[in-house]
Amino acid sequence: MSASLQASSVTKRFGGVLALSEVSLELRAGEVHGLIGPNGSGKTTLLNLLSGYYRPDHGRILLGSEDLSQRAVQARAQLGVARTFQKPRLLPTLSVLENAMIGGWTDTRSGFLASALAFATARREERMLRARAAELLQGVGLGHVIDRRANLLEHAEQRFLEIARGLTGRPSFILLDEPAGGLTSAEIEHLGTVIRVMRECGIGVLLVEHHTDFVFRICDRVTTLDLGRMIKHGSPAEVRTDAEVIRVYLGA
Amino acid sequence: MKRVAILLFAAAVLVSLPWWAGDQYQLHLAALIGAYWVLIAGLNLVVGFSGQLSVGHVGLLAIGAYAYAILAGTHEWNVWLALAASGGIGALCGLLLGLPSLRLPGFYFAMATLAFALIVTELVLALDGLTGGGVGLSVPEFPAPFDTAAGSYWLILGIAVIVTWLTWNVARLMWGRGLIAVRDSMVTAQAVGVPVFHAKLVAFVFSGLTAGLGGALFAVMQSYITPDTFLFELGLFFFVCIIIGGRGSILGPFLGTVVLTALPELSAPLAKLGNFFYGLLLLLVVLLLPEGIGRLFQIGLERLRPQRLGSMPIEPQPAQLALAIKAGQR
Repeated sequence: MSASLQASSVTKRFGGVLALSEVSLELRAGEVHGLIGPNGSGKTTLLNLLSGYYRPDHGRILLGSEDLSQRAVQARAQLGVARTFQKPRLLPTLSVLENAMIGGWTDTRSGFLASALAFATARREERMLRARAAELLQGVGLGHVIDRRANLLEHAEQRFLEIARGLTGRPSFILLDEPAGGLTSAEIEHLGTVIRVMRECGIGVLLVEHHTDFVFRICDRVTTLDLGRMIKHGSPAEVRTDAEVIRVYLGA
Repeated sequence: MKRVAILLFAAAVLVSLPWWAGDQYQLHLAALIGAYWVLIAGLNLVVGFSGQLSVGHVGLLAIGAYAYAILAGTHEWNVWLALAASGGIGALCGLLLGLPSLRLPGFYFAMATLAFALIVTELVLALDGLTGGGVGLSVPEFPAPFDTAAGSYWLILGIAVIVTWLTWNVARLMWGRGLIAVRDSMVTAQAVGVPVFHAKLVAFVFSGLTAGLGGALFAVMQSYITPDTFLFELGLFFFVCIIIGGRGSILGPFLGTVVLTALPELSAPLAKLGNFFYGLLLLLVVLLLPEGIGRLFQIGLERLRPQRLGSMPIEPQPAQLALAIKAGQR
């Protein structure tokens, strides 16, 4: 298991707009790392750089000592970096269980032909993934909707399903893009429970979030962005009392 | 148990068809549906699962048909060898067509397959030394016991069952989900590591294989083929069978194939209105039942086993979750 997933002074431009300017962030194994900042500060851009949807103009994305900067999104899944999306991206016609199973794609060693012929290895992989996904779904609290078509899920259920899908890929790091968005306070508590379990299991959790109370409560470290620059990073206590963070984001 | 009983019943009905079919023509029609289905079952993985809108599979059908006619007829190969070669040549052409075109976004991909079908027809006309040009080629029939109407029906039924089984395996295992991810959410497919282009390509090559096989079977049933046997409308017909049947289902497109092939043939008034009938059915499905007739069956099944809808709170189980995560850790 790699010790850290790192953005090393990355810069990203879109046309003339500087979305991120020399931002560094280190997500360690077994920590919950908060990423906060006003809208348009570059949080999602940084997440997309870490997960490979964008490539940095300058700087590097490192997993341990391995340079991922120019590698495809798929390589992240292979190497144990999972993510969820701000707007949940589920496969609407498949069941909850199958949606979670797809997260384990990288454990599918059987090729197309082996699957078409239903070789024993393909069926064994299928059984194993089915069992793993079912256990994870029970664990995050979706055991009661396991057979439901994903397009019938409520919003909170979709968010938890995305996390379960990420976990089915056996990640070392998981990047959560505003997982508390649209959740009730009780559901946010449950989200906190799930995140703490992931931390205990040694997974590094990056939490991009607007619910600052939640972030300061649960995170070990917090990084704050504004206008594409990193303005403060440190423990929750340090960040929430920082004058600059209060001025641009938290408000007095 | 119930599923096994239904399967056995369906098998008994299909196998015994030659004894209870009204006449030779109906048997011929059933065999034609089978030959079409061999192609459509493979195409279904491309259109219905991976969401790539190929309207040009009639080109691959023609290639399979001519490959069989030329190898078994002109070159007098063993017919089974020629049949297998038709599938292989279909797969190869699928690869050659898929490699450049599957990188194109949806609309342009459809146009590329359309162009392919048109080019194949023109090539068949141009290469008249090989294909007989506009005059066409006669197609050797299968040897006994497959030379009767019932015999060729059983042969086609057997091949169709095998092809259906293969696609069913793909659909129910991880590859089916991977293809559906490519169709419904490219972003998700990438995030979980599905090699998008590779997945589209293998499904397409497989559809080339079944199109080649289907083409050879189709050619034998026609007993004489000309470029006019492979009009572009036929490619559109395959595509429409899948859309009407429903994406992401196997039973749906199969029913689509049966209905669209049989209805216009069995009732004379509908035959005159063939294209009108397709158009009307397509319009009705797209407007009223965008998930196709396959979805009707799914809904029926769901009604039989009502689900506890209504919401229950999400209650994470920390101990169980920790165990499940640790069990998989690298």
